[in-house]
Amino acid sequence: MALIELSEVTKRYRVGQQEIDALRGINLTIEEGEYVSIIGPSGSGKSTLMHLLGCLDTPTSGSVKIDGADISNASDDELADMRNQKIGFVFQSFNLLSKLTVLENVELPMMYAGITSKVRKERAKAAIERVGLGDRINNTPLQLSGGQMQRVAVARSLVNNPRLIFADEPTGNLDSTTGANVLALFKELNQQGSTIILVTHDSEIAANTPRRIEIRDGLVVTPKKNS
Amino acid sequence: MNFLNSIATGIREIWSHKFRSILTMLGVILGVASLLSTFALTDGMAKGSREMMTTMGGVERVNIVPQEVPQDQVMLVDTSPGRTVADAEIIRRSATQVTHVTPVYEQPCTLTKGGVLFRSQLSGVWPDFVPINNHVIAHGRNISQIDLDEARRVCVIGTKVIEQLWPDTPKIKPLGETIIVNNRPFVVVGIFEHYESDDDKIAREYGRKPAAFTTRRNRYFNPYDRKNGTVIIPFDTAFYEFRSASMAGVVDQGPIYKVDGLTFKAADPANLQPAMDQVSSLLLQTHRGVEDFTLDTRQDWAESIEKNARNIKLSGGLIASISLIVGGIGITNIMLASITERIREIGIRRAVGARRKHIFLQIIVESTVIGLIGGILGLGAAFGMIELLEYISEGANPPVVELSSAVLSFLFALIIGMLSGVYPAWSASRITPIEALRYG
Repeated sequence: MALIELSEVTKRYRVGQQEIDALRGINLTIEEGEYVSIIGPSGSGKSTLMHLLGCLDTPTSGSVKIDGADISNASDDELADMRNQKIGFVFQSFNLLSKLTVLENVELPMMYAGITSKVRKERAKAAIERVGLGDRINNTPLQLSGGQMQRVAVARSLVNNPRLIFADEPTGNLDSTTGANVLALFKELNQQGSTIILVTHDSEIAANTPRRIEIRDGLVVTPKKNS
Repeated sequence: MNFLNSIATGIREIWSHKFRSILTMLGVILGVASLLSTFALTDGMAKGSREMMTTMGGVERVNIVPQEVPQDQVMLVDTSPGRTVADAEIIRRSATQVTHVTPVYEQPCTLTKGGVLFRSQLSGVWPDFVPINNHVIAHGRNISQIDLDEARRVCVIGTKVIEQLWPDTPKIKPLGETIIVNNRPFVVVGIFEHYESDDDKIAREYGRKPAAFTTRRNRYFNPYDRKNGTVIIPFDTAFYEFRSASMAGVVDQGPIYKVDGLTFKAADPANLQPAMDQVSSLLLQTHRGVEDFTLDTRQDWAESIEKNARNIKLSGGLIASISLIVGGIGITNIMLASITERIREIGIRRAVGARRKHIFLQIIVESTVIGLIGGILGLGAAFGMIELLEYISEGANPPVVELSSAVLSFLFALIIGMLSGVYPAWSASRITPIEALRYG
């Protein structure tokens, strides 16, 4: 069974008096272990699609199945648990809590999963070492460089062993060298078996992934394989 | 996320904004301080009243006091002579359940001896006054029936009177000495025991000065002090010497005099009610059926002390708690502002899997911890405030901190802290992760 199955998904927003159809019938399947990029210009509905796939929102109509669970009518708490257990996020602006240390930031998803302190620390340390920041666990994010912060975010996204890692413009705030490093990290994780979805507007970055899905005006343009 | 983690997160958040947190707490601190000091003040007043009651005799002492006549007897009111010495007489002769009774004539008096002057309260009484009021004669004798019959100018005085009139000879026992009471010479025939609290007695026996004279508290009202200032003279003497000053009523009542007080003591405290019924029916005769009197027992007084104490404490507490509520509103205000500031943090927590209740709990814990720390500091501030109150208030009973009041104030602060976080926590938990993340 596919990890993600979208059928006839629409999403309608109300902005003041105006109704906006952000998604107008998306059909999409993503298999376990894939490394996919979702690409599209701003206003294409790419962000809306990402919110649905990331369990941050529910569709207006159609069905979204993630790891066999239909989230179309899920409650807020169910969505939160999905995000906690099955999805890891990496954001453009890192979104680390600046008051917490690197270790505590990585521990955060496990705290909401109700894992004991001892196990949390072990797993967080392992994840941080996996992204190559084992010597910075007691620093705060503000003491790190952009590339390091993004690595911490990757470690945080990995730590609950999610089925799916979501990266929203992960290289947007990084220079090209560190950006390339982060992309290399994703590639490595994919080779170790993680399913990764990369959201970007940059086709150069999308070219790194074996499969790209292009969104335009709320529809999937051509699901095609990168050769 | 378990509860301990939430508390740790809350404390960390408060710690990271120390100055702001202290300012927020200040409302709670001052609120708790004013609440607890109000409680201490009212508890002190209640304690003073209780102490006074115990020095003035047991529950078997009953006062007969005037009251408004019932509506249907208003036209009969002039037919009753009111409380007269005849009432005392009939109780003495006919009330079998009553062992002691005395009429009381009361008047402020000026006592002089050799140019030294002392003001006190003069009581013209029957000899029964002494057992009724738990007085003890230490030296000399009580006033007697012969003193009454002959209206002799004799008096029995308390130790404070002696202290004041013979300031240079502290150990004098002035039996047989003559003192001037309201310009008339009286012979001292008896001296009351020195009344004092157990603390003072112990202090005196160990050679120290009694606490009442070594601290600033000597300005406070002291029931023992008042009892030591007693001056009694025979009732009839009081009337022959001073009656023009207190002749009451519009009708000339001849030799039957109105009295200022009428007090009796029941034979058996367990049978207080039969004694009171007996006295009531006797007095209805002398008052010609007009119910213009009522029996005021110590029990009633004790109850009314407790009731008043409770009422004052409650209303004082209510007023003082307003400031605590204001403190709570301050917390709400700051929390709302801090949520706007932390909307991104909330978004991140939600994105990694925090449920709404986790966010709610986090904010509530924060405001509760502010209430908690504010409450603890407030208790400290209250003790400072109470010291200040003791120092500046004159003539009142010293404030007393009771454990229950402290616990109550502290719990109230905690609850206020919790409640003040409800609205901010609720609005924080309503923020959707998408809008929170877009915010940054």
